[in-house]
Parts: sequence; C-alpha cells; structure tokens
Amino acid sequence: MRIRFCKSMNQADPRAGRRNREGSAVLRIRVLVSLLVACVCAVVSSAQTSGDFALGLSEFSKGNFTSAAELFARAEEAAPGTTDALLYESKAYIHLEQFTAAEGALRRYLVVHADSGDALYLLGYILHREGKATESLETYTKAAQLRTPIGDDLKIVGLNYVLLNDYPDAIKWLEKAVEGEPKNKEAWYFLGRAYYTKSRLPEARKAFLTVLELDPRDAKAENNLGLILESEAQPDAAMDAYRKAIRWQEQSPHPSEQPYLNLGSLLMEQSQVGEAILLLQKAIELAPKDAVCRLKLGTAYLRLGKLADAQRDLEKAVQLAPDDPAAHYQLGKLYKEMKALDRAKTEFDRTAELQSRGASPKPQ
Amino acid sequence: MKRWPKTDIRHCCYRNLDARFVILLLCLLLPVPSILVAAQEHSSTPPASPSSTPGKFVDITARSGINFRYQASHTSKKYLPETMGAGVALFDYDNDGRLDVFLVNGAPLSDPTPKGTIPQKTGPQYWNRLYHQKTDGTFDDVTEKAGLQGTGYGMGVAVGDYDNDGYEDLYVTAYGGNKLYHNNGDGTFTDVTQKASVGGSGWSTSAAWVDLDGDGFLDLVVLRYLEWDFDDIWCGEHKEGYRAYCHPDFFKPVSPLVYHNNGNGTFTEVASKLGLARPGKGLGLAIADYDRDGHIDLFVANDSMVEFLYHNKGNGTFEEVGLPSEVAVDIDGRTYAGMGVDFADYDNDGWPDIVVTDLANQRYALYRNNGDGSFTYASTTTGISKITLAHSGWGVRFLDYDNDGWKDLLITQGHDLDTVELTHPNLRYREPMLLARNTGKSFVDVSAESGAIFQRPWVARGMATGDLDNDGRVDAVVNTNEGPAYVLRNETPTENHWILLKLTGHQSNRDGIGAEVKAVTASGAQFATVTTTSSYLSASDKRVHFGLGKNEVVQQIQVRWPSGIVQTLKDVHANQILQIDEPSGSPRW
Repeated sequence: MRIRFCKSMNQADPRAGRRNREGSAVLRIRVLVSLLVACVCAVVSSAQTSGDFALGLSEFSKGNFTSAAELFARAEEAAPGTTDALLYESKAYIHLEQFTAAEGALRRYLVVHADSGDALYLLGYILHREGKATESLETYTKAAQLRTPIGDDLKIVGLNYVLLNDYPDAIKWLEKAVEGEPKNKEAWYFLGRAYYTKSRLPEARKAFLTVLELDPRDAKAENNLGLILESEAQPDAAMDAYRKAIRWQEQSPHPSEQPYLNLGSLLMEQSQVGEAILLLQKAIELAPKDAVCRLKLGTAYLRLGKLADAQRDLEKAVQLAPDDPAAHYQLGKLYKEMKALDRAKTEFDRTAELQSRGASPKPQ
Repeated sequence: MKRWPKTDIRHCCYRNLDARFVILLLCLLLPVPSILVAAQEHSSTPPASPSSTPGKFVDITARSGINFRYQASHTSKKYLPETMGAGVALFDYDNDGRLDVFLVNGAPLSDPTPKGTIPQKTGPQYWNRLYHQKTDGTFDDVTEKAGLQGTGYGMGVAVGDYDNDGYEDLYVTAYGGNKLYHNNGDGTFTDVTQKASVGGSGWSTSAAWVDLDGDGFLDLVVLRYLEWDFDDIWCGEHKEGYRAYCHPDFFKPVSPLVYHNNGNGTFTEVASKLGLARPGKGLGLAIADYDRDGHIDLFVANDSMVEFLYHNKGNGTFEEVGLPSEVAVDIDGRTYAGMGVDFADYDNDGWPDIVVTDLANQRYALYRNNGDGSFTYASTTTGISKITLAHSGWGVRFLDYDNDGWKDLLITQGHDLDTVELTHPNLRYREPMLLARNTGKSFVDVSAESGAIFQRPWVARGMATGDLDNDGRVDAVVNTNEGPAYVLRNETPTENHWILLKLTGHQSNRDGIGAEVKAVTASGAQFATVTTTSSYLSASDKRVHFGLGKNEVVQQIQVRWPSGIVQTLKDVHANQILQIDEPSGSPRW
C-alpha cells in the first residue's frame, strides 16, 4: 500500500505556525545522529577525507558545530559537488538549531543528489522544525518514494499533523510509528499527548504507561498521567503523580517546570496556597518566561494578600500573554484590591473583550 | 397520618378567591397584620435525630398518577437540542392550595432534519402536560381540558400572574418560538401569544416573570441559548460511535428578549432599551436584589462564556457587572459551562449568594455575597469543589430539606455528552442527583444516606421544588432527558419547625415576586426572595419556605414588597402556611 503523507495546501490550517509547545520542546534528532554515524563509517571517500572536509568531519565529531559548518562551506566552495560537504553543513546547522541555514545547505545538496532519500527525510525534518508543516509533509511524501520511512520519520509526520491541528491524522501516523517501532518511547509519548488533546483518555493513559514500561522513571509520562487523573476528577492521585514526576526529574540536567506548575495549581484549588507558592516559584525558576507559571504565582500571592508580589507577577503574566483573559482578570482583581479602580476597570474590560472573542464560533 | 389544614383563629383565613377581597378589607381594618392563614401541623414523623440528619427523598412517581416521558427525539446527527432537556413548573393553577405540576416536552425530529425546520408536536407523546393535584395527593392529567398541549420543541417554563387577576399564567419557551398561556380561572388556558406579542424567535431557554420597573405588573425576561439551526455538523472524533454534541463555542451568542408588560395584556420588547441585550448563551436565570438597594437584579448562567450579573440601576435600566463583581468566571478566571442557577442567601448573612451548575471537571460555582457589591468564589472553601468535581449539574435549588435553618443544595445531574464514557471512563452520562447539606460552615455530600433516588442514575435536567403535600418539607419534581419525570417527596425525619409564606401583592405585582422576606427566630435571621424563577428551565413554588430548627415561634417576619412597602409581623407560630397580603401604605426605602 502506498504511503501518503501529503496535506494539500488548500487544507492547511491558518494556525499551522502555532506550535505545540511541549511537542516542539522535546523533539530529538536521533535520526540525524544515526545518519551521521552511518555516513562517517561507510561513505566518506578518500578525496573527501582530505582538506577542509576532513577537518570539518573532525570538528563535527567533536561537537564543534560552528567551526564544522564553516569548514564544510569552504570545502564545498573549493570543490563544488565533489563531496557531501553540503549535507554535513546542513547537519551542523541543525545541531546549532539554525534551521534556515540548514535548509539552504540541504536544498543545494539536493540539486545534485535529487534521489537521496536520506537527504529528503532530513529536509522534511528541517521543514518541520521551521514550522512549515505542509511543506514538510510534501517532502516526506517524496522521500517515502525513495525509502521506506522508519518509526522516527513517521513520528515527525504525525507531529506535522499536530502542527496543522489535524489530530485524527496525527494519531493515525503516530500509531503507525509505534506499530513499526514498538519501543520508540518518544513516538509513544507524542501519541499519548495527541490522544490526551482529543480527550481520548483511556488510550492516552495506555500510551503513557507504555512509555513508563520502556523507561520506568520517565518524568514527562508520569506528569501526563497526572493530567489524565486530574481530568478524571481524581485530584489526590494526580498530585501523587506530579510529586513522583518531580522526584524523578531531580537529577535531570533539564528538569521541566510542568509538574511543579501542575502540582502548584492543584494545591491552590485545594486552598493549600502556601505550599503552592513554593512549587510555582520553582516552576518560574525553570521557565522564567512562562506566562502560565507567572499567572498562577501571581494569583497565589493575591489570594494570600501579598499584593506587591502579586502585582509583580501578574503584570509580568499580562506582558507575556497579552491575550489571556484570565491574566487580565486576575490583574483586574488585584487592582480592585489595591483600590486602583480605573486600572481595574481597564483590565476587566479587556477581559470581557478577550472572553467574548473566545466565545465566538470556532472553526469546525 | 396526614392532617388537613386547620384554622388558626388568630388570623384571617380564606380558601377561595371570592373571599379574598372581603378578607383584605377586614385585615386592613384590624390592628393586626393582614395575615391570612391556612395552617397545618407538621405531619407525624419518626423521632428526631441529631442535626446532622441526612435527607430522605422518596420517589412517589408510580403512585402519584404522573406518567410523563420527555421525548428528546435523538438522531444520528446529534442536534444540540436533543441533549438539553426541559423544565418543570410547580404552581397552583386553580388556587385550591395544592401545587400542580406542568412538564415541558420535546417534539419529533427527522434524521436528518432540514435546515430551517421548526419542529412541531405531532401526537400526545410529545405534548406538554399539566397534572392537577387532587385532595388525596395524587394527580390527574388535565392537559387537554386546560389546552396546554403545546406546539414546538419545548424547553422552559415560567410562572407568573401577569395580569394580576389572581390566577397564575404560563409562559413556555421552545426552539423556534414561545407561547404565553393566560389562565382563565376555570381550569382552562388561552394561548394569547399573538395578542401579547411575546412569541419571540430563535432558541429560547429559561424565562422569568419579574417586575423590572416597579409598575406593579410582571415583565418577562426570556433567555436565548445560541444562534443555531439544523446544520449537519460533525463534532467529536470521526469514528463510529464517537460523534458528539457540539460545544457551544461552535455557535454565536444571542441576545435575550425582554418584554415590558404594558398592563393591558400586551407587551413591548425592550431588551436594548433596558441595557439587557448583551449577547449571551443563556441557560439559567435567577433574580434577587444582591446589593439590597431596593431594585431587583438578574443573574444569567451562560454556557461556556462569562456569566452575567445585571445590576438594576434604579432608573429602569441595567448594567452588566459580572466581571467586576467577580461572578463572571471561576476562581482562576476561567469560564465554565453555566447551566442552572439559584440566587439565595445560603449563609444567613442577609445577602443573596449565587450557585451555578456546570460540567464535570469544572466544579459548581458558589459565590458568596460580600455585601459590598462583590462576591467571593466560595466553592473551594465550602467543600462544593470537592463534592462536585466529577459531576455535571443542571437544575439546582437552595432549599432547607431538614428545616434546620440552613439552606442546602439539591441538584439534578448527568453529562451533556452521551459519549462521555468512551473518552472519560470515570465520568457518567447518567448520574444520580446530589444533596449537599449546609452545616452552617460548609457543605457535606449526604446523597448516599438520603434515599435510594440518590443511587439511581438519570439524565436529569429541569427541576422545580415546592411543598407538594404542604407538610413543611420541600419536595421536588425532576424532568429527565428521554426519560420519565420523577416526583420526589421529602420525607426527611425531623421535628424541626418550619413556616411557609404565601405573599399576595396589591400595590406590587400580585405574586409578590421580588419581595424580600426576613424571618427572625431566637437562632437568628434568614432571608429569601419571592420568585418562581431559578434552577434550570423551571419554575418553582413561589411560596417562601423557612426551616426554623427548634424554634416554635418566628419572632419577626419582615417583608419588603417590590412597591417599597415594608410590612412586619410579630411572634408568628411555626408549622403553618401563612398568607400575607401587602398592606396599603407608603413605600419606605
């Protein structure tokens, strides 16, 4: 059966550029690493191992991606089309998260190597990282005609549909990804997220439990189990899950603010505002520009009557998320508490305006 | 054994309308307050248990003579009206002193139903029904005699004597147009919709009879839900069995209709003129004077948008103050699916509070009135959040089921999505009702100990409350979606005392709707507003009920009539139904 990934342009959702925050934050480039190893071992010719190209590979293998990219560019300039310098230059830019430059180098590479399936898959990935979901899907479609996609490829296809807000197709391809690679933890995780977004909680729970089977201390999956328990009106069990996620990520070099935020929010709902504040402070430490963390912390301070602290965080929350009616509402309440009635009115009016926008018909 | 009313010789009494004017005249001549009494001793009950007694509500439907089934006419297209259910009214249409029951019904829908269709009832199974209560407490179906079969896909019902002739009239809302039925006083009603110009359009839901301008005539507020038509919109997963009812966000909000009573049987639509035309997604409606400035205010429960609190400015116009009053959203500033509402003083501090039901995971919203024009979201601190987190509520009433002097909560429940269990296995489409006891400090879920009906899962929607058997304990009637109506008799074993006040206005509207009543006993004061409107799509007993605990005497009853007249009664005995007529006099603001 022929694989089709394409989402025609006229079906593209105008919100395609709006990225799934958690999804985009955890994208991995394992596929690139494996490609690199394979290429380094098997493809490099003797001509390529000399000069700038060889130096570039050396820098690349050491993780010095900036200098590697410069050396690959010089090698290509000196002997256009004779090496895979453009391919590696692109990979170096991916490591540097400079996706526009990566796309430019790879497109030049594809002029000469139009039948390279690996290069096309790589371009599909770059386009995904650039938020060009529709173009990415078109590229994956072409790539699939040259090579059968692996689980990671299907995962990115699924995530492209997430970017397009097309969850049924996202779920379809993420399900294929885990079917092809049942031990692909990330694919299971993203599949769980997609199910959760569509309120398919039993399937979401199963997906996150599978992640935990593959990695018994996966804090993200445990945190998401907490969200499911919350949706099922089981706040005590949800709090246990958040606490567990916090413990598990203690040694992580990149702990997430999410379990702190979720636990803090739940504690606030149970009137345990003091403990919530400690957690929300930690969340902000990890994600100082997260508007939701600021809003929650500011709201917690407001409830305790710590008006100066509340003002600092609520004003910051509004600055970070100017279209969030809840942030304007809490700020309005604060100003009212501070007897700044004109400012309170402004915030309540803004809340009403934003809420009324939110209550208007949504695309179907 | 039930005892029939006996006359309290201290008061004037009457049992029929003809006597009323004579009695009123006599009362005006007497130095005592104009009190007309039909008193009844409390029926004998088992020995009292401590004040923590749970309730006992008994399903007496089978022996009541009420055999009603609401026809939602579910289709494969999942048209939104199919899941919204309908209302109930408890009112005494023939003035025999016993509450009668009116139930609203749906209409057939074809599958698919063409866009633009206004569904019509095609047979008796779709009729609205009026049940007359007989002296033995059972009911007769008098729908045909009364001429109240109805026409469209019914939703709500409002009760009020709009022409002050002494007989309660009915306004029935529906998808596609509403009906006003004038009570002729002889057991029949006349459809006067056209003459009165109150037919409306669109999808109407809850309605309220309330005198907005203080002219002594009840005006009519009619909420509307959405700009909606029979379009074939697939919501939910594109998967067999997962098609779901669409979220209200798919549709535009719509303005309510507000009809000014011209006093001659006709009405004029004045929503914009009065400042009440803000588009909403209105389902629930309740009235109270929340700032006690002498002018009645309105609360509108909107579905999935901000809730509205309309403050009566006292000059005949209103301003919407939900956000600054902190009743528009929940504690986190989030909107929720407002369904039913009640507006009453649950903490006995003299200031009307608000409760709004919504969907599972949203927590019913309880707003405590701070007495300064603002409210505090009190769901968390009173236990309501924890009790209601997993539930979806519709009809709701503050009512003192055990007569201990604290208003409790009785709520009908059931999710709006019949597919909810596929995606949320722990939630339920059918849910038992909820009874939450007010301890004076917080609410406690006493459903499990309060009778078998609280174990039975229904898709319950509209609910009206009232003392059906005049025994001083408030009963309820519930309308369920695609299911039977239930008559729930309150048989809570208690020796607590009570009083039921039936007000009749003379300068004010005859129903006394909007009057504020304060009852003072040795235990403290309680407050209530005379209204027929609250809950969800329903109209409840207009009589004011107070549980009095161990107090056998109400030291003082003070009524502030909509006219502004303040009337005070002293040392009134408990356990009676007390008729109070508005005296003549000058307003005291």
